[in-house]
Amino acid sequence: MILNETSVAEIKEKMVRYPRRKSAILPALTVAYHQVGHLNDDIYDEIASIIDIPAVEIAEAATFYTMFPKHPVGKYLIQVCHNISCALLGADSLVHYLEEKLGIKKGETTPDNVFTLITVECLGSCASAPMMQINDQYYEFLTREKVDAILDELRKQA
Amino acid sequence: MNFIRTVIIALPKGFYTTLKHLFKKPVTRKYPYERREMAPRYRGKHYLERYDDGTERCVCCGLCAASCPADAIYMEGGETDNGERFAKVYEINLLRCIFCGFCEEACPEEAIFLGHEYEFSDDNRDSFIYTKEQMLANRPKEKPFKRIIRKVRRIF
Amino acid sequence: MSSADDNKVTLTIDGREVTVPRGMTVLEAAKSIGIEIPTFCWHPKLKPVGACRMCYVEIEKMPKLAVSCATEAMPGMVVHTDSDLVKQGRRAVLEFILLNHPLDCPTCDKGGECDLQDLTFAHGIDDSQFDFNKYRFIRDKKSTFDDYRLGPEIIRNQNRCILCYKCVRSNKEVFGEYDLGAFQRGNITEIDTGPGQQVDSIYSGNLVEICPVGALTNTDWRYNIRVWKTQKVNSICQYCADGCNLTLWKDRQKIYRATSRRNDAIDEGWICNRGRYGYQIANAEGRLTVPLIKRGERQENATWDEAIELIARRFKEIKDKKGGVCIGGLAYPGLDSASLYAFSKLFRTILNSNNVDFRIDYKMLPEEPGDLYTQITSRKFSIAGIENSDVVLVIGSNLINEHPITNLRVRKVVTQKGAKLYTLNPFATKSGDISTDEIIYRAGTVEALINGLCVSIVEQKLASDTVDASKLATRVEPNTVAQAAKISGVEADRIVGLAQALGEAKHITLITGELLSTSITRDAITAAIMNLALLCGMAENGQIGFLSKYANSKGAEKLGVMPLLSDSLIAEMKTLWGGYPEQKGLGADRMILSAKKEEIDALFVMGSDPMLCYPDGQFVREGIEKLDFLVVADLFETRTTQMADVVLPLSSIAEMSGDFVNLEGTVQHFDQAIKPLGQSMPGYDICNKIASALKEPLFESVARMQPDIMRLLLREENPEIQRELREVKTSVEQASGEYTVPLFVVDQAHHFAHLTERSKSLSAFCSEAHLELSPSMAEKLHAETGTLIRVESEVGKVILPVIISEHIDNDVAVVTRNFSANPVNDLQMRKQRVDYVRLTRVEEK
Repeated sequence: MILNETSVAEIKEKMVRYPRRKSAILPALTVAYHQVGHLNDDIYDEIASIIDIPAVEIAEAATFYTMFPKHPVGKYLIQVCHNISCALLGADSLVHYLEEKLGIKKGETTPDNVFTLITVECLGSCASAPMMQINDQYYEFLTREKVDAILDELRKQA
Repeated sequence: MNFIRTVIIALPKGFYTTLKHLFKKPVTRKYPYERREMAPRYRGKHYLERYDDGTERCVCCGLCAASCPADAIYMEGGETDNGERFAKVYEINLLRCIFCGFCEEACPEEAIFLGHEYEFSDDNRDSFIYTKEQMLANRPKEKPFKRIIRKVRRIF
Repeated sequence: MSSADDNKVTLTIDGREVTVPRGMTVLEAAKSIGIEIPTFCWHPKLKPVGACRMCYVEIEKMPKLAVSCATEAMPGMVVHTDSDLVKQGRRAVLEFILLNHPLDCPTCDKGGECDLQDLTFAHGIDDSQFDFNKYRFIRDKKSTFDDYRLGPEIIRNQNRCILCYKCVRSNKEVFGEYDLGAFQRGNITEIDTGPGQQVDSIYSGNLVEICPVGALTNTDWRYNIRVWKTQKVNSICQYCADGCNLTLWKDRQKIYRATSRRNDAIDEGWICNRGRYGYQIANAEGRLTVPLIKRGERQENATWDEAIELIARRFKEIKDKKGGVCIGGLAYPGLDSASLYAFSKLFRTILNSNNVDFRIDYKMLPEEPGDLYTQITSRKFSIAGIENSDVVLVIGSNLINEHPITNLRVRKVVTQKGAKLYTLNPFATKSGDISTDEIIYRAGTVEALINGLCVSIVEQKLASDTVDASKLATRVEPNTVAQAAKISGVEADRIVGLAQALGEAKHITLITGELLSTSITRDAITAAIMNLALLCGMAENGQIGFLSKYANSKGAEKLGVMPLLSDSLIAEMKTLWGGYPEQKGLGADRMILSAKKEEIDALFVMGSDPMLCYPDGQFVREGIEKLDFLVVADLFETRTTQMADVVLPLSSIAEMSGDFVNLEGTVQHFDQAIKPLGQSMPGYDICNKIASALKEPLFESVARMQPDIMRLLLREENPEIQRELREVKTSVEQASGEYTVPLFVVDQAHHFAHLTERSKSLSAFCSEAHLELSPSMAEKLHAETGTLIRVESEVGKVILPVIISEHIDNDVAVVTRNFSANPVNDLQMRKQRVDYVRLTRVEEK
C-alpha cells in the first residue's frame, strides 16, 4: 500500500459527501497527490479499490488534469500556462527563457531536484496573462525580470 | 479509252512510285538489330518503383486494381516485420492488360509505372502472369540526372 | 392540448413538419423523415455525447449552430439542416478533425468504408488553412506511425483517431467492461487500456466495428484485402442459440471478416467475438477434404463412392441381421435444418430406427416422451421481450458465456431501464456484477433453494391467485425457509428478500441455462422452477426462457432429431413420410450405453465430437471402442474421427445455404458464402448419398424438401402449463471422502463446443484449457496464475494451469472443455449429479 492510513481515512470521509461515488474521484486524487507528491498506476488501483470504481475511470480523470504530476517532481513545480491569452502575450518565449535559465527542457527536473518545468492548459487567469503557477501559488503579469526575481527567491528558500 | 486509262497511264504511274522509293531511306528497320526509341510517354510493360533506400513503394492499397478496366491486376496484402503494409502478391495478367495507364494514374504512392519495354512474347500463357519480383526487376536504370528531373517533376 | 399529445412534439425540419415523441433528439427526428445528418460520434444505441460536432444544424432563434444529436426536439422548433451556415460549420469541423489526421488512406484498412473519407469527399475539403506540422503519437522511434496492440486482436493507431469516444462509451455503457479509457486531454488525448489491462473481453470486436475511422483495426482483416474487393453475404452465427445476424465479407474462396447485421429483435447490432472470429474455421488449416477409410490401423484417403458403398454395405448387413435398432445416429445441433431433417429422415425411413439424438452434452436423458423440461423449452421466449420485465431472474447460467447477446439485453434492461437482476448460481459469474443480489448456492441444491423461495412467497402472501398455493407445504421438501437456507447454504433473509421481489414484480423474465439443462435432476429442477413460475404468475406476466445452447438446438427439437417425440409430431412425420419406426428410440447417453453392452453395432456421428463433449470421458470411450462400425462426418480431425472406420468431410456453414432456428424459435436463413472445400459435402447431401445407396434418395433437391422442413419448423407447439403445483423432493448428495471440491465444466468465454479452437483469432484469446479458481482457493493451494494443478476425480485426472478468477469467491473448480488437447470430460461421471474433484499442486522437479 502506498497510501497511508490517514489518507485512506480522509478519502473515505470525503467519499460519503457525494451522492454518486464517481464524484469522489478528484478529492481522492487530491488526497493521494498531497501525500505522495505525484500519481501513478498503483495509486489509481488503490483508490479504485477504496471508492469501488473501475481503475480506468480514475486514470482517465487523473491524466486529464495537468495539476496532478504523473512522475516524481522537484520541490517547486513550475506550471506555465500556454493557452491562448498567455500564448498571445509571450508564453512561448517565457518557456524558452525558463528552459535556458534552469538549464532543462520542458517536462524535466533540475539535477538538484528543486525545479520541474511543465506547460499546462488554461489556469483561469487569462486577465493577468502571461502567468504561471508554482506549486499552489499563482504568479501573474510575468516578465523576464519578474521571473528572475521569483526564481532567485525560491532558490534561496530551497 | 478505258484501256488507255488503266494500262498506259496507270501502269507507269505505279512503277514510278516503286522506282521513287528505291532511292529513299526505308521506313522499316532491321528490327532485332535496330530498335525504335519510344516516345517519352509510351505505355509499355509495367515496372514497380522503389524508394531510394531500397524499400518498395507499393503499399498494396488496391487502387490500381480498382481502376483497371480490364481487371488484370490481382494483389494480396501483407504485413512487413516492422508492421507496415506491403504487397505479398502483386500480379498483372499481361494478356488482359490493355496498357491504358490508369494504374499509373491511380497510384497514390507513385509505385507503378508503364515503362518503354514493348517486346514480350512467349510460347505459353502462364508466363504472361507478371509477378511482383519481375516488375521490381524491370525498373529501368535511369541516368542520374534523369532521376533528378523526375524528382523535380514529382514535386510540382 | 389533450393528454395524448403531451408526449408528442411538432417541429419543422427543412420546411417539413414532423411530429415525434417527446424526448427525441433533433437528429433522430430528422432521420425519421429521411433527412440524413452526417455524424461521427452518434450511435443509435448509445447516449449522445456531442464530441465530434459534425451534426451541426441551424435552429432559428438559437444564437449559434446546435449539435442535433444532443438537442432535444422542442415544439415549434424551426430547423435547417442544409443552409449555408450549416455547410460552413460542417466544413470547419471537418477541417478541424483533419488537423492531425494522417493522409494514409492507401495503407489504412478503413479506406473505402471510412466515414471521415466519405464526409470529406462529400464536403469537398481539399486544403487546410493550417500549415504547421501534424501532431504525431509515436511509441516506437523506428516506425513512422503508431500501431499499438490493445489486446490479442485489436490494434490501435492513435494518429487516425478522431476522438468520437464510441469505443470507450460502448465498452462502458453497453458491455459493462472497464478496460478501455480516454487518457490525457486536448489533441494529445489517447485511447488506451486501463493500467495493467488489455482489451480482451468477449465483446471487444465490436469496438473495431464501431470505429468510424481506421484507429482501431483487428488483426484478421488488417492489410489483407480492400473492402471494395469483397462481396457481402448474409449469414447467421453458427455458435450459440442467440442467432445473431452476421455479414460475411468474402472474395473468391476466402472469407475475410464477419460483421454484425443489425437485427433489433435479437442482437441490436452487437455480436460477440465468437461470432466475429468464428468464421475462420471455414478457411482454417486441417480441414478434411477427402473421405477416409480405415484399412488396418491407418485411415487412408478414399473416394466418395468407396466410402458410401462401404457405409451402405455395413449398415445393410447390420440392419438385415439385427434390425435398425442396432444403428444409432448423433447429430451436431449446430448444423443447418436441412441436414438435421435429412439425418432424421435417413434413420427413420431408410434404416427404420428411432435412435437419433442431438443432445450429446446432456448427462442423462429422459426415457419417456413428454417430459416437463421438453414441454417448457418449446414455449415461446423473446429476447426483445426481456425489455418489458422489471425483474430478471437467472438460474444456473453463466449467461455472459452461454448467451452473450441475451446477456447484453439483460444488461440493457438493468442498467438503462432500472430493472432488477437476481442471479442464482453455484459460483459467481460476470453477469452478477450488476445484479441486485447474486445468490450463490451450494452445488447441487438448487431445488431446495427454489422450494425455499416458493414457501417464502406463500408465507408473504404474495402468491398469484391463479394457483392453489395451500398445498405447497405438502408437496415440496424442504418446506420451510430455514431448512432451505440450511441445505443451500444461503442466508434465510436473502431468500425472503428475493421472494418478496419476485412476488411484487409486475413482469418477470426467468432465464435458465446449461448448468440446469445438462443436469441429471433436470426434471426435479424444472418442476421446482414451474412451481416458482406459477406462484409468481409468470405464465401470465412474464416469460420463461429455458435457453437452448446450440445454433440450431431449437430446430433439432422441432424437426424431431430426438428419440422420443410427442404424438402430434409423430403423426406429422407419418403424413410426411408415410411411415414411422415402431420401436422406441434411445437417447444419446443410452446409445453409448447400449454400444458398451454391444447392443448397438453402428453409429453415425454427424458434426459432433462426443469423445470431447460427452460429460463422461471414460464411459463414452468404452462405448465407442466397442462399436463394430463408426462413421463420422466432421470439418476437422477430432478425437471421435480418430476412432472412426469411415470419416466423411463435412462442409462448414459458410459453404452452404440453409436456416437456423434460434432460441426464440425464429427461423433465420443464411446464404452460401464460398464453395465447399475440396470434396466436402453438406450434411444433407451426405445423408442423401447414403440413403440412395441403401434404398432410395431422400429428396430430389434440397429446395423440394424445404416445404416439409418449414412445416415442421413453423409448427406451433405451445403446451398449456398445468396450473397445479408439482411435487419436488430434494435429495442432497454430499461430497464424500477425499474428493470435496465441486467441479463445473463450462465453455471458455471465447470458445464454443469443439470447433472454435481452429479459429486463429479466437485461439489468440485463449488456446488451452484452464482451471478457474477463487483467490482464496488459489491461496490455499499456493497457486498463482499459470501454476499447474492436478485435478483428480474418482475416474480420471487432468493437469491444468490455473487462472485466478475475478468473480468466483467460493470453493469450486471451474474448468473449460473446448480443447482437444485437454479432454476434461475424463473427470466427469454421467450418473453423478455434481462431480467432485481433488486439487493438488504439481510439484516442479
